[in-house]
Amino acid sequence: MRRCESGHAMIELAFSATVMVACLAGTFQFGYTFYVYNQLVTAVGNGGRYAATRTVRAEVDKAEIAIRNMVVYGDPQPATEAQPAVAGLTPQQVEVRWVKDESGALSAVGVSIREFPVNAMFRTFTFSGRPGVEFPYVGKYAPEEHEP
Amino acid sequence: MRASRQRGFVLIAMSITMLLLLAVIGLAFDLGRVYIARNEAQVFTDAASMAAASKIDGSEAGLDRARAAVAQIPMHWNLGTREFTGIVVEFSADGTRWEKSPKDASAMTMARVTAPANQVEILFLRAVGGPDAFTVPAHSVASSNPVRLVE
Repeated sequence: MRRCESGHAMIELAFSATVMVACLAGTFQFGYTFYVYNQLVTAVGNGGRYAATRTVRAEVDKAEIAIRNMVVYGDPQPATEAQPAVAGLTPQQVEVRWVKDESGALSAVGVSIREFPVNAMFRTFTFSGRPGVEFPYVGKYAPEEHEP
Repeated sequence: MRASRQRGFVLIAMSITMLLLLAVIGLAFDLGRVYIARNEAQVFTDAASMAAASKIDGSEAGLDRARAAVAQIPMHWNLGTREFTGIVVEFSADGTRWEKSPKDASAMTMARVTAPANQVEILFLRAVGGPDAFTVPAHSVASSNPVRLVE
């Protein structure tokens, strides 16, 4: 009788532990993925605000590098040992897109994440093209000037 | 006697544990989405207020262009899947009194955008007594003639 009860308890434990471990693993996966996504939203938001107000001169690629650095490091000219705001994010993974009006002047700037894999231990989620923001360009567009 | 007293224990323990587990899942899943929505709404209102402020030029037409610019911001919330609704655009001359349709457009220098209706549906926390939805409003203010800080 006692041996029979002990077997029941083992089966019940095995069953309940399977359910709970699966729930905890899923919770960790989603929780961590949401956490990283939230960090990315903050990063592209900061980069978008910076891009919208930055002076853009003839060397547009330099402005784009500064914007990418702003997204990744929170600084347009980061120190060599600077750490990214989101672990694993590099400037190459940040897309900067300019929108021009009919006259050729900048009217908006879009900043988004090209492709960013989030390793949530049990599974890897990949964000493609998101999160992304588009800010109206309110800075000074001066293609005739050169970067100092 | 002893066997019959032990029989319901696993059921009760499992029920309590599942309830706690649901609360933990709810904290991770639902609150995670709430924080993302709040952040997305804040970034949207930042962009929208800048768009509105950049169109203010002291005329009625400028205020209309400001409203139109806010409506054209192509940003979404809920992990970038849902459009913002119920957006409120207000204007002010000094940042103390805000009006949706100001009588004196020539005095307006500031725009405030509020995204009040971002209701995140709660999936897990409601099972342990949480609310059905969580509203995460956001608002931002921008001036049409800001001090330039960025070069």
